[in-house]
Amino acid sequence: MSSIIWYVYEFARKAWITRFADAKSQKEIIDKPPRFRDFPIVIAENCIGCGSCTASCPSPTAIKLVRDKTTEEAEGLTYPVINESGCIRCGFCAEVCPSDPKTLECGENHFIKEEFSIIPSKRRYIVDDYLCIKCKACIKACPVDAIKEENGRIVVDQLKCITCGDCVDSCKVKGAMKGVFIDNLEDQKKLINLIVSTLEKYIESKQEELEKLERESILQLKLPLSSIWDEALKIIPDTEIAHEIIENAVDRLKVRIITWNKDKCKKCQMCVPECPIGAISFDEEKDTIVRDNDKCCRCSICYQTCPFGVIKYFISKFVLDVDDDGEEYMFITVKPSHLDYDFIKGEHNES
Amino acid sequence: MLNRLKDIVRKTSINVCIINCGGCNGCDVELVACLSPRYDLEQYGIYLQNNPRDADILLLTGAVTEQWEDKLRRIYAKTPEPKVVLAVGNCPQSGDVFAQEGGRVNAPASNYIPVDAAVSGCPPRPSEIISAVLKVAPGAMVAKSQANREIKDDD
Repeated sequence: MSSIIWYVYEFARKAWITRFADAKSQKEIIDKPPRFRDFPIVIAENCIGCGSCTASCPSPTAIKLVRDKTTEEAEGLTYPVINESGCIRCGFCAEVCPSDPKTLECGENHFIKEEFSIIPSKRRYIVDDYLCIKCKACIKACPVDAIKEENGRIVVDQLKCITCGDCVDSCKVKGAMKGVFIDNLEDQKKLINLIVSTLEKYIESKQEELEKLERESILQLKLPLSSIWDEALKIIPDTEIAHEIIENAVDRLKVRIITWNKDKCKKCQMCVPECPIGAISFDEEKDTIVRDNDKCCRCSICYQTCPFGVIKYFISKFVLDVDDDGEEYMFITVKPSHLDYDFIKGEHNES
Repeated sequence: MLNRLKDIVRKTSINVCIINCGGCNGCDVELVACLSPRYDLEQYGIYLQNNPRDADILLLTGAVTEQWEDKLRRIYAKTPEPKVVLAVGNCPQSGDVFAQEGGRVNAPASNYIPVDAAVSGCPPRPSEIISAVLKVAPGAMVAKSQANREIKDDD
């Protein structure tokens, strides 16, 4: 009984009655937050009908591109239609929409647009992850903050880069930051092939000297740049670009040479089945072993197989530099392979 | 007189039962948020029941998977009349992202049981769910109970 009296007393208070009458949901609970990404809004007039919104949509039923019927007055409008029962409000459609102004609007993230670099340049600056020591000198040198560290890698933002080349000058490792020419990649491949084939032919022409070469000793040769210069200019006419490509290629080249002394060969044919790509074959009519130089991948398995020392295997490295007489030369260093030596030594140790 | 009283009671106290027929749980999390003090379902007279026999409204979430096809019908049969089915989220309506080519979901849920209303969104906001329930449920329940009465009278 006393509790009923208490209830009556409590509910009869004016404060309770006014509060009960004014009870409302708080505004912040009902309202959507300002950055809430709601269903996309379609502005049909802006649509160019490219279909990138439908392609980017993760939900199969959410978005359809429709076209109004063409009447006598005007051509039918093409525009996307959002099916709200399929849309997941991810905003991908608005993000990819290429029309300007946007056909689809969803949230505010997709309005953030990066300025496109329109500076014409033949070079693109990229970081060689293999050589980069992450000293971050390029980050400091960059005047437009285009270089960043991402996941432990140094990355150049191509949209921000103004291709000034300061990063290459500041780089402490030769070749870690490089300005690559991007518009003539096929020509560059041709030029590098030319360099490799001329160098290889030149070294193979010195076969007699190579045969005499002792273990643990090196053979030094030099080939003037002028020997390939005219042909290089035929492939890439710009002297500056051609020279830089030749220099970069020569400095990083490592060519493996295989020599074949036919006088020593006993025609045992052991090398024929060993070759992984079938570059070696036995010519029965002439009774000789034939090696296809173009097919050969210089893997050195034949050299390791041959019991009579017919095949020799050499490794050569190169550098492009100016000699005393002021002309540019490709300096060549040839070193015989240590493979057999290591193998014999290892066997010796085991026994 | 009694019927009118029943209708008033039905309008003011709504018992809902959540059925997740194979969804990603996103909508269920939003439904749980409805129960939280911030949204506080019970201040609107909506009560959560875990038994479909006690419920007036079935809140359906999730794209219908194979195992749910017959169970959905059974649960619908267990719910007492007048009953309202509300599809929460996109999955029971269209299958949403799960309705890919070669997918194993059998959306929409209206293939199996009559769905009266739907809330779009993936997931819908709790406030959207509550406002949908409050907008649809009382009217639909009264209308259904009246329709049922007429059918009975005809018989």
